[in-house]
Amino acid sequence: MQAKRSIWEKAVWTWLPASAREAGDSVVRNFLLHWFPAKVSRESLSWGYSFWLGTVSAMLFLILTVTGTVLMFLYVPSVERAYLSVKDLEYAVSFGWFLRGLHRISAHLMVAVVFMHMVRVFLTAAYRNGTATNQNRPLNWIVGVALLLVTLFLSFTGYLLPWDQLAYWAITVGTNIAKAAPVAGEWMRFILLGGNTIEQNTLIRFYVLHCFFLPLVVLVLFSYHMWRVRKDGGLACVDKESLGQKKEEAVPIPSKTYSLLGITSGTTVHVKTSLVDEDKHTVRSSPNLTRRLLVVTLATLAVASILTLIAHAPLEEAANPAITPNPAKAPWYFLWLQELVTITTFSIGGFTINGALIGGIIVPGILVAAAIAWPYFDKSSVRAVGVWFAMERRRQNLVFLLVVLFILVLTVVGTFLRGPYWHFYWPWEHWPEMPKKF
Amino acid sequence: MKSWFDRFKSKGESEQAKLERIKAEILAGDADAPARKTSRRSFLARLGVGATLVGLAGQALAYLRALKPNVLYEEPQKFKVGTPDQFGEGGKFLEERRLFVFKERSTFYAVSAACTHLGCTVKMQKLNQPKKVKTRQREFEEQYEFHCPCHGSKYYGDGTNYAGPAPRPLDYFKLEVSPDDGQIIVDMAQVVDQNFRLTV
Ligand code: FES
Repeated sequence: MQAKRSIWEKAVWTWLPASAREAGDSVVRNFLLHWFPAKVSRESLSWGYSFWLGTVSAMLFLILTVTGTVLMFLYVPSVERAYLSVKDLEYAVSFGWFLRGLHRISAHLMVAVVFMHMVRVFLTAAYRNGTATNQNRPLNWIVGVALLLVTLFLSFTGYLLPWDQLAYWAITVGTNIAKAAPVAGEWMRFILLGGNTIEQNTLIRFYVLHCFFLPLVVLVLFSYHMWRVRKDGGLACVDKESLGQKKEEAVPIPSKTYSLLGITSGTTVHVKTSLVDEDKHTVRSSPNLTRRLLVVTLATLAVASILTLIAHAPLEEAANPAITPNPAKAPWYFLWLQELVTITTFSIGGFTINGALIGGIIVPGILVAAAIAWPYFDKSSVRAVGVWFAMERRRQNLVFLLVVLFILVLTVVGTFLRGPYWHFYWPWEHWPEMPKKF
Repeated sequence: MKSWFDRFKSKGESEQAKLERIKAEILAGDADAPARKTSRRSFLARLGVGATLVGLAGQALAYLRALKPNVLYEEPQKFKVGTPDQFGEGGKFLEERRLFVFKERSTFYAVSAACTHLGCTVKMQKLNQPKKVKTRQREFEEQYEFHCPCHGSKYYGDGTNYAGPAPRPLDYFKLEVSPDDGQIIVDMAQVVDQNFRLTV
């Protein structure tokens, strides 16, 4: 197979291996392929099981990193110039509008896709361990929850940067919610703002969080997340498949792994999950997995680009502390929280509890805590792992879906049914015209 | 001297014998070392690890402390807003300060425009016709109200919250007359009772 290979063939041979042996070899040799096992199960490649939502969110993160880096050359994180530099992006920089639009749309998509990924994992019980050894899927679920939270915080810090009205009032409301936290609240707000009022200190803090600190956290967590997926034997549907097969004592096969690592640990991931009939259920990662990866990447980029062309990225008026827009709405993914802080102010006797504490801190806190603890309370059998809507998990799936529905309903109410002064309007009712100025 | 590996390889001894010999060699090496040497070594190792941890913790604390500003270049909380005769009857909105200053005949009071829910700027709504309201055990006729655009809190003309998520009335700030030029001074650091009035 050596000798007369063209440069092209040399470049792609790890991606287009001719034999199973070459395929295994390519995974060892090619840095980009070392993420993958030599073989993957057909089921985990299917479009309908995972919808590739994790991959899509990773690709969106990649798009965001690339566009964000270019934007960093053009944006100035100063209170005087931030708004104008975003205006320049819109009107003076070649393709600036596209970069900004793509960055913004990808961020919106990433929030949605990461959330859907979480829903998918819950409904397929993929946060549960199967029968293979060394699995720790609950831990990976928790890493996933952390990734969702960081994604939300990244979006939040991102839409503050243009320093327009949306930004200013989002910081006001957001940091006041932080202030409502017991004990550490005041301190947290002070540290976030870099003072008592929203000024230059605040902008530079959120800028550094958005461009350096949080992406770094995502990168670290994401790498660990992916590594764990391999440690856990791949997607949960693999466990389901292995259950259906006749189990045999699988011995380490020297020819399966080509590195010292594989030999010292004795078996490969698939041997551990006791997939006996490998030929029928698995295919080579390269090119089967890589090809799909390429398709997903291109599709993600295409969808994001097309949406960028359709939906123009809005920019509100420059930040003005004197006038709050009416209604002042957060982006759609925070509207359920805005609705929550609105409806959760309670009076007990003469004592009033601010909605910021209940709706802004306690309720989301409970939701996150429940998400983290859930895998340890789920007592369904291994038969349910990797199965969509497993019968024995009917009740908990229902509860989960109700929570999701609750969040969605609040989002819809916040998006479509709230008008000036946060009054409730049905879609067929007209909002009164509000004077722009006080 | 032959290396350990060479000796291991060269002798035509059995697998079992090899293992036995290596084991014995290792044990002999260990036995040579006096017990107190090991303990001193482990003590120093622990000291080293401890010093490293203390060093890192100190660094981390310093970095975190640096994030808390010692000097703030913010607008002062106490400032002059002009002489009494510069105010007309009724309310005046000072944009940069998010503050309403009211004049009722010869009395003055200052009400914050920051909503007590989450800090949005409330809007003053002039009422088409005066409305009779009863708050704080007293009845009065109000000409205007404050409404918040963010989550819909509503306040009576005297700043008392009556609808929406706001947990308490709008803040009132302390007013003084400056002795040198007779201007009114607002101190936004000092929140006062809703009944506070400055008479000039
Ligand atoms: S900030 Fe005024 S009602 Fe929420």
